[in-house]
Order: sequence, then structure tokens, then C-alpha cells
Amino acid sequence: MTDRRETWLLLAPGLLLLALGFLLPIARMLALSVDGPDGFTLSAFARFFQDGYYPSILWRTVWLASIITAICAVIGFPMAYIMARCNPTLRLWLVMLVILPLMTSVVIRTFGWMVLLSRSGLVSRTIRDMGFGGRSFQLMQTETAIVIGMVQVLLPFMVLSLMGVIGRLDPRLEEAARTMGCTFLGTMRSVVLPLAVPGLVAGSLLVFTLAASSFVTPSLLGGARLEVLAGAVYKNVTQTLDWNFAAAQATILFAGIALILVPYLRLGGNRHG
Amino acid sequence: MSITARLAAAAALAVAAVPAMAQELTINSFGGAYEQAHRKCVIDPFIAATKAKVNIVTAYSADAFAQIRAQKAAPQYDVIHFSGGQEIVAAKEGLLAPLDPKLVPNLAKIYDFAKEGLATGQGPAYQIAAVGLVYSADKMKTPPTKWADLLKPEYSEHLVLTDISNGYGMIGLLMLNKISGGTLDNIKPGLDAIQKLLKQGAVMVSKSPEIQAEFAQNGAWLAPYASDYAHTLKVAGLNVKFVPGAEGTPASFITTNLVAGRRNTELASKFIDIQLSAPAQACFADALRYTPTNSETVLSAEVAATVVYGKDAAAGLMRFDPVAIEANRSAWTEAFGKAIAR
Repeated sequence: MTDRRETWLLLAPGLLLLALGFLLPIARMLALSVDGPDGFTLSAFARFFQDGYYPSILWRTVWLASIITAICAVIGFPMAYIMARCNPTLRLWLVMLVILPLMTSVVIRTFGWMVLLSRSGLVSRTIRDMGFGGRSFQLMQTETAIVIGMVQVLLPFMVLSLMGVIGRLDPRLEEAARTMGCTFLGTMRSVVLPLAVPGLVAGSLLVFTLAASSFVTPSLLGGARLEVLAGAVYKNVTQTLDWNFAAAQATILFAGIALILVPYLRLGGNRHG
Repeated sequence: MSITARLAAAAALAVAAVPAMAQELTINSFGGAYEQAHRKCVIDPFIAATKAKVNIVTAYSADAFAQIRAQKAAPQYDVIHFSGGQEIVAAKEGLLAPLDPKLVPNLAKIYDFAKEGLATGQGPAYQIAAVGLVYSADKMKTPPTKWADLLKPEYSEHLVLTDISNGYGMIGLLMLNKISGGTLDNIKPGLDAIQKLLKQGAVMVSKSPEIQAEFAQNGAWLAPYASDYAHTLKVAGLNVKFVPGAEGTPASFITTNLVAGRRNTELASKFIDIQLSAPAQACFADALRYTPTNSETVLSAEVAATVVYGKDAAAGLMRFDPVAIEANRSAWTEAFGKAIAR
């Protein structure tokens, strides 16, 4: 009995925060999205799908988040592996290197990219000098710019999730594989990678949800012409004061992410068990 | 009498009792460099002349409007400033009191177009942000002269447009729309023009600092924007000039209004009078490059060259109906988003 009571006591602050900070606002959002001048209405959702404009924004949001997640995984996995296997001093330095950018505001880091990627910035100029791209070529205000900026912002989440999992793997498993004649890459593929899937899933979830819901970096690097859903929601809340439509868009984003994440979560859960 | 009404009445009495003891005025201003100039050009001279105390509340137009609307039973502001046309609605709702020309002698010197709404209770415009052509004097040997120059294909790769979320961007769109044959009931010609310019290589930004970056680093020559921001660019070290477009100069009016239901009307009128005076307007133009509305304002040659100034130039100023803009904002924002989407 006391055990159960203690469990509830320990859970209470977290549950309370979840209820007040997540469930309640989400419920309000859902209510707002179907609320009209004459009560219940689905007109906000109908407006979203009336032509290709908003669905194309939704598609861009999901597609960019997927690419960002994939790139973070490809870059993050080798990095996390080395960090998990190197000596503790080097690991400390590497962890600090990964975490350090998180201590600067995302806006500041994005401004750095704006300088590099703009028309006269280092990156765009180099590409032009090498003969790729026309006279006014620039990376700013392209989807590539959004991907570059977001990967830099979100990579630490992937690396840290993977490192935690890989660090707990027994190195003797790899040694066993190698003594049995497996190549290094073969060991990675058939031993480390499958065992690291929970970390990969956790990292991907974090990166994907953060990428799909962010609007500061996409709006600064992508500009007014490449809208993402979170940016469209922001615009409807602050500029056109159309909160019902904003709520509908947020609901669609929420449902879209949930739809993609549920199978993904099951994948992680099965492997874990 | 309900409890709220009784409380409001009590509060109104309490507030009304205060000015009898101390000369005090509550106004709003817009913060930052604007508020500094406001202090220097209007508030300090007012305090020197009347020995009254001035409470400044930093509140942008929309906020300030929401406040005086909520305070209708017991208003807390004496003078309220708007930049987004809120005085039209406020006057309609009876929140503003008409000015007495006897208490505000400078009103007679204000250009007629800047005090059109006076009869209905709207305050006069004490300064005007004029939107025209901001261009790089280094790059454009033949300066642009008219709005139609924005449409020239040879400039497109060096043209910076501002999106509709920005107040000046909205005005720029409506002006492009006007010269392309559109009206406030049909902004399609304007959207088509913008779409075409973007296809030809123009850049679209949404915030003022991005315009600065485009001019400073990214080879921008030309942008439809406000005279005060051209001055900001100049202060930042860029050789940028402002010229009003020949087809007309759309403008954003900044108005000063007397709040209804306050006791110290005389003091507030005095404040407005100082605000409308030629020295205060010259001071404002010098600090921020807004167009003065007092016909007797004398500007130095240097300042005069960078703002819309003088009777003839000021007569070219026009204003898109703020009520129509508000009514259409949501629909236009969506249409604009669709037009510029890649």
C-alpha cells in the first residue's frame, strides 16, 4: 500500500505539469480548432485543404524534418560511436564540443548561417567562384539553407541520445565479432547498429519533432517565400489574429507528427524488448 | 447600477480628483529611439512650459487602443498616439474627444489632409511616415523617380521587397497594386506584379534589418520603403537615399488624440499644441526623418533633402483606408502567401 502511495506521490509533480502544461493546452487547441461563430464547425480544416497551398506547406514541413533527421543520424552515428569508445578525457572534450553550441541562442547561430549563406557570404561566393550557380546565386532563402541550419542546431540531440546507448554496449561483443572474422564495417552493421536502434529511435524522435515544430530557423534562413507549418501558425496567431485557423493548423501538424511517430515508436519498443 | 459600474464610477472620481491637486498627464509613446525623440522634442518642452508631470506608458497602437477601449468607463490616458489608423475606430466608439481649436492654436497651421477627421473626433496627424523609393546612390547613377521604375526588369535582381506582415510592406504592395490598375477591392494586379518581380530575381524579406543586410552585403540597389528607414541606413554608413515616387506617396499617419472623459482637457490640449508646433516637428524630422504636418515647419537643407517636405510634396501624400486594410488583412495575408510561395 505505502509503495503505491509513494509511487503516486513521486509521479504527482510530473503528472500535474503534464496535465497543466500539455493536456490542458492541447485540449484548448483542439476545441479552438473546431470552434466557429455558430458553435462546432470544421470550416478551418476545410480551408486548410481547399487548395494545394497549405497541404504543400505541410508536405514541406514533414519532408524537411525527415531529411534533417536522416542527415543528423548519418553524421551523428559515427560521431557518437567514437565518443562512446574513446578515452574519457577526449570524450569529455568531444561532449563539450557537441554541447557548447546549445549554450548560444538558436537565433544567434542562425544569424551566423545567414552571413555565410547570403549572396556575398563565404559559402555562396565559393560556390559561384567554382562555376556552379548563376550570377545572383545564393543559398539563403532555399530549402538547403534550412536543412544546413537545422542540422547544426539539432545534431547534439541525436549524438547525445546515441552516445548514451552505444556507451552501454559491451565492447566484448564487437571484439567477439572481429575475432570471428567480421570486418570493422561488418561489425558496425550487424552488431553495433542493431543494438543502438533504441538510441537512434530516441534521437530521431527528438530531432524530427523539434525540426517539424521549429519556426525561427526556417523563417530566418528560408525567408518569407518558403513557409513551414509552424511559421504559418505563428503568422495566424500574431498577424491576422485568426486563432481558429491557427489551432486547426496546429492540430494537423500535431496529428501528422503523431501519425509518423507511432509506428516509429513501436519499432524502437520491439527492439528494446 | 451594477457593482462594476459603481467601481468604475468610483475609480473615475478618484482619478478625476487627482489633477486638481497636481498637474499630471498620462500619454503613450512607442519606445526606443522614437520615445527618446518624443521626450526631447515634445515632452521636455511641455514640462518646461507647464511644470506638469508626464507619465509615459510605452504601448504600441494596437495595445494602446485595446487599453482605452477597456478603460472606457474610467480612462487613464489623457493623450493617446496611434500609427495604424486606430483613431478612426476609436472616434467612432466615442473614446476620443474633439479638439477645441481655441485651446490648440497650432491646429490652424496643420495641412488640411492631416486633420481631415477632426470633425468626427479623430486627432490630427503630427507626423507622417512616407513610403517611397529607397535606393543606393552608389549603384544607381540615374536615380529612380517613379513607382513604375520598380517594375523595370533590369533592376529586379537588385530589388528588395518587403512582405505584407510589415506595415510598410503592406503599403508598398497596395501602391504597386494601384499603379498596376488594382483597387482596395481587388489586389490581384499588385500580387501579379510582385510575383513577376520575384520571378525576375527580386528578393523578399520580412523585417527591416534584413533590408539593411541586403543593401550592405547582398547587392541590393532599390527597395520601396519608408523615409525614416532610409535615414537609419544612412546613419549605419550606407550611401542610401530616399525619393518619393511620382505617382504619389502613400503614407502612414501618426496621430495625436485627446481621450474622452478626462478632466484636464486644457493641459492635454496644451500638450497636443506643443506637439503640433513647428519647432517640435522640426526636431522630430531631424531625429527620425518623419514628414512634418505643420505648414510652417522649417527644416535644414540636409534634413529637407531626405524627407517629403513642403506644401506641394506633402500634398502628394496619400493614405490607404486603414479600415479597409484591417477588414482585409487576413484574406490579403493568405493571398499574398500563396502568390509568393515557391
